[in-house]
Amino acid sequence: MNTTPPQQQISMEQALAQAHAHWNAGQADQAERLCQHVLAIWPGQADASHLMGLMAHAYGNLPVAIDHLKRACQAPRVPATYLSNLAEMCRQAGRLAEAEAAGRRAIAIDHGLVAGWNNLGIILQEAGKFDESLTCLEQVVTLKPDYAEAQNNLANTLKRLGRLAEARHHYEAALRLVPTYAEALSNLSNLATDMGQADKALTYARQAIDINPRLADAYINAAAAEQSRGNDVETLRWVDKLLSFQPQHIGGLLVRTVPLRHLDRLDEALEAARRAVTLAPDNGEAHVAMGEALQALGRTDDALAAYERAAKLPGLALEKAMVNRGICLMEIGETAAARAAFEQVLALFPRSISAWFNLSDIMTFQPGDPAIAAMEALLAPDTVQARNDRIALHFALAKAWLDSGNDERAFLHFDEGNRQKRATFAYQADAVGRWTQSIANAFPASVFADPDIGVGEADDDLPVFVVGMPRSGTTLVEQVLASHGQVQGGGELATLNHIVDRIGPYPAIVEQLTAAGFAAIGRQYIDHVRTLSNSKRRFVDKMPSNFLYAGLIARSMPQARIIHVRRNAADTCFSCYTKLFTREQLFSYDLMELGRFYRDYESLMAHWRSVLPPDRFIDVDYEDLVGDFEPQARRLIAFLGLSWDPACTDFHKTKRIIRTASLNQAREPLFTRSIGRAGRYTPYLGPLLAALGIDQVPQAAEKPAKAAKRAPRPAKERAR
Amino acid sequence: MDSKDFEAKIQPLLVAGRGAEVEAMVTPLLANGGGPAPLWAALAQALRVQGRIADAAKIQEMLVEALPGHVSTRFDLAESLLLMGEFERGWREYSYRYSLNHTYRIERKVQRPRWDGRPIPGKVLLIHDEQGYGDTFQFMRMVSWAKARSGAQVVLEVNHETHSLASRMRGFDALTLRGELPPHFDVHCEMMSLPMVMGLKMSDLPGSIPYLTPDPDRVQHWRKRLAGVKGLKVAVVWAGRPTHFNDANRSMTLTALAPLAQEGVTFLSIQKGPSEGDVARPPPGMNIIGLSPEIRDFEDTAAILTVADLLISVDSSPVHLAGALARPAWVMLPFLPDWRWLMNREDTPWYPSVRLFRQPSWGNWQGLVQGMAKALADIRAAGPAGNRP
Repeated sequence: MNTTPPQQQISMEQALAQAHAHWNAGQADQAERLCQHVLAIWPGQADASHLMGLMAHAYGNLPVAIDHLKRACQAPRVPATYLSNLAEMCRQAGRLAEAEAAGRRAIAIDHGLVAGWNNLGIILQEAGKFDESLTCLEQVVTLKPDYAEAQNNLANTLKRLGRLAEARHHYEAALRLVPTYAEALSNLSNLATDMGQADKALTYARQAIDINPRLADAYINAAAAEQSRGNDVETLRWVDKLLSFQPQHIGGLLVRTVPLRHLDRLDEALEAARRAVTLAPDNGEAHVAMGEALQALGRTDDALAAYERAAKLPGLALEKAMVNRGICLMEIGETAAARAAFEQVLALFPRSISAWFNLSDIMTFQPGDPAIAAMEALLAPDTVQARNDRIALHFALAKAWLDSGNDERAFLHFDEGNRQKRATFAYQADAVGRWTQSIANAFPASVFADPDIGVGEADDDLPVFVVGMPRSGTTLVEQVLASHGQVQGGGELATLNHIVDRIGPYPAIVEQLTAAGFAAIGRQYIDHVRTLSNSKRRFVDKMPSNFLYAGLIARSMPQARIIHVRRNAADTCFSCYTKLFTREQLFSYDLMELGRFYRDYESLMAHWRSVLPPDRFIDVDYEDLVGDFEPQARRLIAFLGLSWDPACTDFHKTKRIIRTASLNQAREPLFTRSIGRAGRYTPYLGPLLAALGIDQVPQAAEKPAKAAKRAPRPAKERAR
Repeated sequence: MDSKDFEAKIQPLLVAGRGAEVEAMVTPLLANGGGPAPLWAALAQALRVQGRIADAAKIQEMLVEALPGHVSTRFDLAESLLLMGEFERGWREYSYRYSLNHTYRIERKVQRPRWDGRPIPGKVLLIHDEQGYGDTFQFMRMVSWAKARSGAQVVLEVNHETHSLASRMRGFDALTLRGELPPHFDVHCEMMSLPMVMGLKMSDLPGSIPYLTPDPDRVQHWRKRLAGVKGLKVAVVWAGRPTHFNDANRSMTLTALAPLAQEGVTFLSIQKGPSEGDVARPPPGMNIIGLSPEIRDFEDTAAILTVADLLISVDSSPVHLAGALARPAWVMLPFLPDWRWLMNREDTPWYPSVRLFRQPSWGNWQGLVQGMAKALADIRAAGPAGNRP
């Protein structure tokens, strides 16, 4: 039996060898005692310090580990491995500059150190120096092809470079070497999300969690998969699974802000981002998330400051910070500055799809514009591979070709972009049709027969709902109303939708709602918007889809006014089809489904018109408003019970945030060019027109305003 | 009531085995299928203390599904699955025993990979034991299996107390002591991870029995020492190591064993630890000899078990020693026993020579001891020195 001899009798070399052997076997106490013995004789001895550092690291004490390793690395002839280990620990601590310096020293000392190249490769990747990272990691894989971690790391860098097919190849190589490699599975999940395969992505993430339930990234990637198909609730569920055991996980806090913003839980989103910033003040992505929350809250200056802060920090947040800054400028109407901002992004990141996408929205392309060729080039194989990026690029290009007069190429891109987008989700037009019909059935005329049809408290004038199809002119109407001194524009709020969702399935719950139940809905809504109303008399919520709730609004808020904006069916649908919406408008990505949805919407509106009293609900035709502005504007203001304010005429000068797909149009004075616009594209819109029951769409006339007034509505309204 | 108050209210009830009351309190709060995870966990525990393990496991599986990163829930599930004999997933979830908040630091952070169960001829495999002596005795049988499966040179590392018993066992190439300078090795495996790594199935049990043997000199010594003892010689242990997390549930008192006292039976106390002195005040009519001060180590215990006709013991390491030696032993188990004893059976797949006596209801040692007294009378009537369990 070998027993440890008394320590004073052994040489320093023996003590160190034994310390290593003990630590190898996980006997930390014995190893530490031997190291302390060495360090007592020779303070700062490199090998003992190094081993102490490795042990501190294994027990999760990173700062102490780094201290030990720094001491070890002060030795004049320090082994390259020690520097390489120091580099990796600094990376884990987020100290990228120190990490890179140590990593470079390591391979300068020993050019053949595989682990050194590997560690430096990850550090450079985290620092956003992808090309250099690639060189390091390709080196490692060449030196040691059966090194699963290196295959995985190389794949990560390739993925960052947008070379998704090659990335997948190396993840799969890693998994062939180690089939239970949870990190590689988790990364493969994220790759699948990028490629638009959310189901696959979830399967990989689940497998990774099954192997290692504490692997935080796998939860983040599962959340990303759900987020990619717009499923906010499931996204939150995955993040909360992670935060339940790692409440301070920065990535988790950041991912959480996205669904919270979508669900209009803006204060919670800001709170999560704040916590992340407090925990990791040098994390650029945390500042970006905070900027996004502030932006959603309408605090533009604070948001811009957060983006500028993020852009100054090392790491991967720069592109997003710069793009978001541009969007922010766009929202407050600083179009020139926004354009400059996007061009700046493209100078640094020529493949930034979000920059191209936003830029294409604010600029008007001329034939032969070099930007068009630049975007087309990005669609070539082996360039932009992420599904969502390719979709956005198709929409941007379609817009560009349309601007420059090449309808055929434009529609090639519209059709392809829409087709790819449509493939990312399930949608059943029949079910939607039955659902809208059931909403009408839930509010028969008898419900409103009572003279006192509303049951809420009437002491508050606030709510005005501007409803209709997306792209029908709701933004314009809100902008006109909000120019009035006593009206606050609130943008598109999901508030009412969330209140109803919390109560139960709509419209099935309507039957069970008592007068008090309706009143409670109204009170919740008014309590919320009062905090946003800036002490004005009226508050406009222009969420178009609130048309689904017109009856419920009338029942729960007697003082509410509902303005329905109507626009020519073909023009509306054409406009929807040309837009890639940020929030889901699932009906909008297939011409036939779009037409069917329009018909369903139209018949529900006909129902509301027939049952709601005229002092609660009015229609305004977009074409009338554009063609004969002031009388229509006066009619709307009077409908709100307000006296006329000339500021409404100059609505486009009103400085406020606009955050919809129409934001760059509401900034312009009235224009009639979008009336009868679809007519020009009849050859491309066959399935839409068939679904709408329209044989022919008249072309925009020479005097568009007048012609527009006469623009035909769909032939017949379906009688129910 | 906030969750802390609620916790404070139900914990004592659960410890007292009043699972039905907790179930009645919690169930209405979970009626709509929702509810916070800690409440569900409380319901699972309430079902467990009522012996409704399968019902509890269903809830625990749901919790693991909902919060996969919560390793303590996984460990709870492991205990339920193993208790039901569902080895495959049970061993897998059992691997989280060192990821709990209070166990993370005691995990041995071996700097070599864990053996994955595949053949590794020419390599050196270090198998090391963990905390409890009973665990070591129980899972030592797998060392030779691991050697056969891996084709490796096997180095077995055990603690000082079990070292000399292990040294007579077969199935490894070298033996080393915990804390000492270990020899070179390529891969390692904790002894209690062997079941997961090797995919241990119920049908693999018990394997070759006995796998431990007593020291012949010690047997000689104890045979002499106990030559004058009349009648059936029954070694007895009534308390486990008091620091065991579940000791209150598994340990009892010598007094509670009073009904076992009968003509023709001599009890041999091999109780170690704080309660070994109880032997000075035996229940009336109990013929008992205190051997504890003479027991130096497990070699003495093994020799006594070899000489004695029977061991009667609570769930503690001598039971495993007796089982591994193929000596008869009767185990007194709490209503909700440790996972290794399964539920609702008198025998155990681990040890053919061991018979299980279970509390008929929570904390009911009395009912158990009465049943055991009858069984003891039966074998006494059948004649002395029977080797039947």
